Amino acid sequence: MFEFLFKYPLSIYRQGTFIFLAGWPIWLMGLGVLAAAGVLGFLIWRQSSGSTRMGVVRRTSVWVLQTALAALLLFLLWHPALSVSALKPQQNIVAVVIDDSTSMTTNDENSTRKEAAEKVLNGGLLKALQEKFQVRLYKMSDHAERIDKLEQLTAGATATHIGESLKQVAADASSLPIGAMILLSDGADNSGGVDLETLAEIRRQRIPVHTIGLGRETMSHDVEISNVDVASRALPESRLGATVSFHQHGYTGQKAKITLKEGSKIVASQDVTLKAEGTEQVETVLFNPGDAGVKTIEAAIEPFPNEENLRNNRVTRLVNVDARKPRLLYLEGEPRWEFKFLRRAVEDDKYIDLFSILRTAQNKLYRQEQKDGKQGLTNTNELKDGFPSTVEELFGFDGIIFGSVDAPYLTKNQQEMVKQFVDRRGGGVLFLGGKDSLSDGGWAKSVDADILPTVLPDRKNTYSFVGADVELTPAGQDSLITRIEEDPIKNVERWKKLPYIRTFQDPGEPKLGAVVLANFIPKEGGGVKRPLLITMNYGRGRSAIFATGGSWRWQMLQPLADMSHEMFYRQLLRWIVSDTPQHVTGSTPKSVLADESHVKLRAEVRDKTYLPASDAIVEAHITGEGAQQETVNMVPEPLEQGVYGADWTAPQAGSYIVEVVAKRGTEEIGRDTFTFRREDGVAENFHVEQNRELLQKLSAETGGSYYKPSDAQKLGKDINYSQAGITVRETRDLWDMPAIFLLFLGIRAAEWLLRRRWGVI
Amino acid sequence: MRLRSIVLVVAALCGCWGLLHAQKPFQEYDTVEGHAESAIPPDAYVPHEWTRARLMYPDYTGFLLGYRRRGSWTIDYPRSDRHLLFGVKRLTRIDTRSVEQPVALDNTDDIYNWPMMYAVEVGHWQFNPEQAAQLREYLDRGGFLMVDDFHGSVEWQVFLEGIKQVYPDREIVDLPKAEPIFHTLYDLDDKYQIPGAQYLRSGRTYEQDGYNAEWKGIYDDKGRVVVAICHNMDLGDAWEWSDEPEYPAEWANMAYRIAMNYFVYDLTH
Repeated sequence: MFEFLFKYPLSIYRQGTFIFLAGWPIWLMGLGVLAAAGVLGFLIWRQSSGSTRMGVVRRTSVWVLQTALAALLLFLLWHPALSVSALKPQQNIVAVVIDDSTSMTTNDENSTRKEAAEKVLNGGLLKALQEKFQVRLYKMSDHAERIDKLEQLTAGATATHIGESLKQVAADASSLPIGAMILLSDGADNSGGVDLETLAEIRRQRIPVHTIGLGRETMSHDVEISNVDVASRALPESRLGATVSFHQHGYTGQKAKITLKEGSKIVASQDVTLKAEGTEQVETVLFNPGDAGVKTIEAAIEPFPNEENLRNNRVTRLVNVDARKPRLLYLEGEPRWEFKFLRRAVEDDKYIDLFSILRTAQNKLYRQEQKDGKQGLTNTNELKDGFPSTVEELFGFDGIIFGSVDAPYLTKNQQEMVKQFVDRRGGGVLFLGGKDSLSDGGWAKSVDADILPTVLPDRKNTYSFVGADVELTPAGQDSLITRIEEDPIKNVERWKKLPYIRTFQDPGEPKLGAVVLANFIPKEGGGVKRPLLITMNYGRGRSAIFATGGSWRWQMLQPLADMSHEMFYRQLLRWIVSDTPQHVTGSTPKSVLADESHVKLRAEVRDKTYLPASDAIVEAHITGEGAQQETVNMVPEPLEQGVYGADWTAPQAGSYIVEVVAKRGTEEIGRDTFTFRREDGVAENFHVEQNRELLQKLSAETGGSYYKPSDAQKLGKDINYSQAGITVRETRDLWDMPAIFLLFLGIRAAEWLLRRRWGVI
Repeated sequence: MRLRSIVLVVAALCGCWGLLHAQKPFQEYDTVEGHAESAIPPDAYVPHEWTRARLMYPDYTGFLLGYRRRGSWTIDYPRSDRHLLFGVKRLTRIDTRSVEQPVALDNTDDIYNWPMMYAVEVGHWQFNPEQAAQLREYLDRGGFLMVDDFHGSVEWQVFLEGIKQVYPDREIVDLPKAEPIFHTLYDLDDKYQIPGAQYLRSGRTYEQDGYNAEWKGIYDDKGRVVVAICHNMDLGDAWEWSDEPEYPAEWANMAYRIAMNYFVYDLTH
């Protein structure tokens, strides 16, 4: 329709420049319009004076219409035209880039995408192009590769990197007169889209990229896992959550089963009801990664019988289960049942060492160590004088628990060390409620008030010996700390049925960024709900308040077989320590490289006191499949103190173990081991629907157009206009376009109709 | 009218359920020893972090003892309890209530609210199967029982009958000197027999044929003492009469130290 009305396609208007060919000044046209308006106004006013049928409004309407007509005539006299840059016939090259990845084998209504591309090209487009231009064919995978004929397409490449491929073709344009690119693809890019740098490069060369979108924009029957989020590190025998994001078409309301497997062993499964068509659904499946070691966890949704693509139903992730045993220091100010039952709750957790210091009498301490799941008195002199007084001693722990102990029991220096323990060391601190805890213990006035997740009340007597019921908040319902039943709904009910806590303490108001996981509701005094379990990240570490000294009732008031008290404290203490970093922490942005080979290695190095070590020598020893070894020197990152990086290419698919070793001179600062995995032939299985948005954006940003296969033959004409390659300026007349004729007729017809209605013809 | 009745019944049932699961308030009972009466301290009803319970067990009805006595659980009660708890306040950082909490194996949940329990004159106790099962559940969940003031082979036998109902499969053993229970607050390597107030009349440090003090215990599967047995001694009298000038201070002193160690042991193990 646009082309019918305006004579040329929209793309020519976008590329061209509007000009007047008459050569007379524009101001003269403006003057002519004004003069015509004046003369017409005078004549209409004179002719209609005395007429009762032609009032002021009617006269003005006629005047406006006639002036518009005069202006249109003057506009045409000035000879309007478009100046466009057109490709010179037979002197330019058109690059035809055809997607050659496996996603092109997807069957969309009777033919594959590869066949659809061939049909478009062989259906006249290629011939039309060849009549005017030299045509270069490229096949596209993770790079562009020149081909001579369409038969060389295989649709077997394992990745699609559109940006990288177009950049390569554009590079050819620096030595060849490439006037335009035509991209035939489903837009299923595996590299995260076309980057701005590539777009800028194509724009700089003014090459329009015309895109022909292949494939369906939505599948009719498919379930696809879009992401699986799972902690890359964990302690042995932890409860982890794999957050599986997926969407589906054609199965709304049906039941599906998500399974997590390690090798052939199913470690967890969960039934879910599929939500609305195309909606991103997120489900968390809990699992136990088991003993120390690298665990390859495959998340899968069991396929439906008539599903179109079964290859996008499974995703692999790696979990490094650390062999290290975090150490927790528990300082308790008074012998009490919460101390006893907390220690009992975690005594079977052989992966956490708990060192406790208890003030039994005014001048006596009782030190105990729970190691390898066994209780006992410490045989060493460790901390025989009480709470650590040096940074090295304190930072040797991964987490701290403060029971009913008042802040002044610690020196100012120790209080500052506790703050640095969280902020700099990255440790976790848990404050329990008690008669000498929180506000009643003077913590509000200490430097450690900063690390607390709440603003403590500015008063004493906040600890009450009144029972209180407990309920989870929405955040607590999602948290793994408070998950004592696997099923989230049963878990909420389980918490409601827990025996009341014997005591509670007002923790004050949660700070910005703090998360309240559970509230307590006092059994007396009006039952106003207050935060019970609050967590917050601070600096590199984290802190929590569990505002009671009476959760021991969950153990004593429930049958022996009930493990809710044990599970709660084990999960809380593991949260406190599991993310505490060591002196060297290695990582990669992705633990699984899906059809990628490049990997960025990163190491954060801290010295003995956990200050950033910028003068370290850092090496990454990489061991791949078949025990090949390679050592890579890591160099300091310019903008981050104590952070080192290196780029490396994984030569083949498989798992890689990286051991990062940091030294200062001959002295070793620390080492860390992590893993990643390269998987080939995976990425193309996902996002197989046509990514029309990407293709449209690409063409719009470069001055090209997006075409459906059915419209692709128009490209033969549209492609003529380009600012790249060898061009010639052409002018295209606009005076004879149908739209102007219709406008002329419209103005005259409007005046005639008005006059007829008024009876003044 | 019918609806009202239903509402009342439901409310009553809810109330009963609440009572079964809630802590019972402090209450003082009559004693078999008239001389042992003690004034209720003014802060008796002020709650604290810790309270030591006293087991109200049923009396022995067999023929082994040759006689039947009522209310053996109240021996030395409540004077010894109040003295002892005052000592706990003075000698430790345990935040204790000033008064004891008498508890019964009554098939309610009340006993589980008091994880530290003391029983006196256990040579006179007797349980039915339900009571024994509840005491075992109490100990398995994390409760601690200290027994005291029973003497000689006959009372031992009665004690044994009761405790074997509770723990038929657990052995009673002599606690070694190195056992942490003797070293939590004080190092009690040299312990000795602590006689009751009868010594002031008889001059004997023992009663019946219980010539030597026996420090015994029952361990749980984790190697923790869950029942501490003080046989052939009378710590209860030592606490009760610790303000009596004639009662030797060193015995009272040792009795207090034993109790402090046991309490701290329970709270740390």
